[in-house]
Amino acid sequence: MEIQTTDPLQKSTAVEMKNVDKTFLSDTGIAIKALVNINLTVRQGEFVTIIGPTGCGKTTLLNILAGLNRADNGRVLLAEELQGTQQIAYVFQHYTLFPWRTVMQNVSFGLHMRHVPRRQRKIIVRQLLRQMGLDKFKEAYPHELSGGMRQRTAIAQALALQPKLLLMDEPFGALDDATRGELQLKLIQLQQKHGLTIIFVTHNIDEALILGDKVIIIANQPGSILAEFDIPVPQPRQQTSKEFTDCFLKIRQLLSHYSACQFTRQV
Amino acid sequence: MRNLQKENHRNKTAGDWCKILGWTAVPAILLIFWQYAAMELDQPWIFPSVTKVFEQLLHPLRDHYASGSLAGNTLVSLLRVIIGFVLAAVTGVSLGLLLGSFRHLRFLVEPLIEILRPLCPIAWLPFAIVIFKLRTLPQLFGFDYTKTIFDEIQLGMIFVLFMGGFFPVFTNTLDGVAGVRRNYISLARMLGAHRVQIFLYVYFPAALPMILTGLRQGIGLCWFVIIAAEMMTGASSGIGYLLIYAADQSAMDIVIAAMLIIGAIGSLLNFLTRRAMRASLHWYGKEY
Repeated sequence: MEIQTTDPLQKSTAVEMKNVDKTFLSDTGIAIKALVNINLTVRQGEFVTIIGPTGCGKTTLLNILAGLNRADNGRVLLAEELQGTQQIAYVFQHYTLFPWRTVMQNVSFGLHMRHVPRRQRKIIVRQLLRQMGLDKFKEAYPHELSGGMRQRTAIAQALALQPKLLLMDEPFGALDDATRGELQLKLIQLQQKHGLTIIFVTHNIDEALILGDKVIIIANQPGSILAEFDIPVPQPRQQTSKEFTDCFLKIRQLLSHYSACQFTRQV
Repeated sequence: MRNLQKENHRNKTAGDWCKILGWTAVPAILLIFWQYAAMELDQPWIFPSVTKVFEQLLHPLRDHYASGSLAGNTLVSLLRVIIGFVLAAVTGVSLGLLLGSFRHLRFLVEPLIEILRPLCPIAWLPFAIVIFKLRTLPQLFGFDYTKTIFDEIQLGMIFVLFMGGFFPVFTNTLDGVAGVRRNYISLARMLGAHRVQIFLYVYFPAALPMILTGLRQGIGLCWFVIIAAEMMTGASSGIGYLLIYAADQSAMDIVIAAMLIIGAIGSLLNFLTRRAMRASLHWYGKEY
């Protein structure tokens, strides 16, 4: 498998995965199918959320897109302006920051690595920190920050290189509801402002619906796409509106039906 | 809050008192007992009094039996340790970083390291003396006799110190680098860092706590090793040499003075390296 450099994609398509498979060998030598026959299209500027139970291969999917893992079979196509790693940013679930660097040094890491002059670096980073509400904490170290502040820093760090595609792996998984809601809003603002394409992994249906233009549901073992929903509700979304709850119920039903089937099959 | 702290300050706990006593009364009692016992025994060539020992410590520049002074010999030992340790530290850290980040290289060298590492550094001394004879550092650079303290820096001693300092530094660095979380590497790569940059900005700072631990163990071990090495035949200077020479002359006051100096320098090295570690590693152990 090779990430293709030629561009047979339609103009508006950012990412396309065709028949992607990925199998891991566990330490004891058992083959574990992480992903089976994944077909996926993401348009430019689209906010795609992926839901699925823990261990269903969501992270593997992001890792393949980021170039950290390779698919065994199938093709991954990236739009021309996404070629080269710097166009893709990735926010991990854990260890998203370097603990020996301050907030400011963490955010400027990518720019530093690309030899952006110090003065220019400072201007970009200052602006980002202000946008994320981090100016007061710029000299703080990650261990001195709350979980929410850390994730803000992680997002700022990812955005510093002005990527076109942002991959996020359960970035708000460890946060309390209030902080999570706040960061979700912030993320939507950022996405609209920068015209970002975002692929966001979560196991929380609510979160997937609040953020996503499209919600993809992945089934467990082996990880394969169970369903895809377009969410036609405009932002900002009211979680109590009828359209929203309808979507929620539809996904809920699908998931419970699916897990019931799985259960009977196992029995 | 502040009031509470003040109150705590006024009413010292039992623990506080024990700490204070441990630094004052306990050593004082020991000294008094020692002085009393020495005066009762009245055989200074076996057990000298406190006053005789401190009299030696107060005159560190006095020449003893043409073997030099306490201060001069201490300086020689320290200089040897510094040179040997710096060599060991530089090689240990760079090799550790290199092997830690290239797994295959590590597999190639690891068995060799595991055979050499448990070997007591002093066991290298006879070998080192045969190989290097009594050649000194200035002779290595083509000077015959410089009439400075460097004439006392024998290559054999440096070799043994190197063997003592290298392994703790090297193995700790190696473990530190090998233990760097994969996530930090992935993160750096996603942010566009290339190989050398990952090495400099991720592996090195992430492994720094372990590297410093290795350096601290290394310099402590070097100080042990030099004393032992100087007490062996072939040595002609250093505080360890003065100690064994004075013992042969039954000058126990000098022996004990030398012991106190060796102990004091050991604790000083430990204290300084611990301070340096704390200052540079406030984040360590607080990864989340």
